[in-house]
Amino acid sequence: MSLASPSNAFEFSGWNFSQPRCPNKLTAGRRLALMSLDDTECMARLAAGDTTALRQLYERHGRALLRFSAAMCRSRQAAEDLVHDTFVALLREPLRFDPSLGSAYAYLCGVLRHRVSRHYRQEKRWVTLDSGDDADFSAEDAPGPLDAIARSEITAAFRRAMLELPLPHREIIALCDLEELPYTTVANILGCPIGTVRSRLHRARALLTIRLASLELVVGDALSFAHRGFS
Amino acid sequence: MIGPAHPNLRELMNNYARDLGQISPSASLDARIGHLVATGSKSFKRPPRAWRRLLAWGAAAGFAAAAISAGIVIGMRLERARDLAVAQRAAPPQIGLAFADLAMWPSDSVALTIPAEYSPQGTLVAVNPGEKSTAQRYLIDVVVSNDGTIRIERIVPADGQVEHQQANPDGVSLHVQ
Repeated sequence: MSLASPSNAFEFSGWNFSQPRCPNKLTAGRRLALMSLDDTECMARLAAGDTTALRQLYERHGRALLRFSAAMCRSRQAAEDLVHDTFVALLREPLRFDPSLGSAYAYLCGVLRHRVSRHYRQEKRWVTLDSGDDADFSAEDAPGPLDAIARSEITAAFRRAMLELPLPHREIIALCDLEELPYTTVANILGCPIGTVRSRLHRARALLTIRLASLELVVGDALSFAHRGFS
Repeated sequence: MIGPAHPNLRELMNNYARDLGQISPSASLDARIGHLVATGSKSFKRPPRAWRRLLAWGAAAGFAAAAISAGIVIGMRLERARDLAVAQRAAPPQIGLAFADLAMWPSDSVALTIPAEYSPQGTLVAVNPGEKSTAQRYLIDVVVSNDGTIRIERIVPADGQVEHQQANPDGVSLHVQ
């Protein structure tokens, strides 16, 4: 398939869609609870100087962090760089993790979101000539059937709408709606009360719906639903 | 309490989340993490935390001191320039006496006696003593001090005061005090 195919509109088409997102049917909160026990041990080993614990943490949370980073960043390279920086920060200062304040995943997500904020602050100094995401496109990743192409176009438009959202709104949707994390975990990651998470999510959904309505991706019913978010 | 998202939005989110879920880390990222695991924290050379913090505080204090000093110097210069401008504006106009000859208090003065007579307008005007006139003449004693003031001491009729007229051709006689 050539680069001029309709799937080129899919900005992050360079990603490798090879493995399912959630192989088992456990909820995100349940998975986190099960993982946190082992994570604390891994963190303790890492603090003691055992770097193999870093590998375990990466295998356990790397994909989830990459998903979050991909939802926040415009390019795959930037998303992977930020995940790498997160693990570098963890390796540098493993003692900063306090298990009494939350899970290791929440801590890593918190570090990552700070890296994302810094990435966008630094990006403001530069003028982007082209996103270059389309250059990552590879024929192997493109879906074959027409309905898959149409769906990916809609998803690409949704992604564009997501990337146009302000950073705080984007991250709340990525954590609450895409990662489906519990509000308590999200509040822990963002360092704010649960009430703030709820109100910010409500507003973020309303903003996203309005943007999607301008792209004619949602019906008028959803738009009136969104306008209630500002009332 | 926030409810679930609108079904239409929920469907779009699910599709997007499904696509995001199919992302797997690239071989490059795996290799970089592997390198991190292999090298450990030895690959990072950084100064100790206390030393770094001290350095940051020192730099901040130095910068603050420099900013305050610069502010003081600039303020002093502005103040001095303003005082000079005010002094120049308030300086008296140049008169016959030199600026240094004027004092705050009169320390020196001269007394002059000027012959005068009434003009048709009713004011006293200086007269030429050589000119003959039938009008009543007066002698005005004036004291000029070095503080820039002129004071009229007294005005007396000129009867019998011939010695003044003889003293000076214009009738003005000088008395050194």
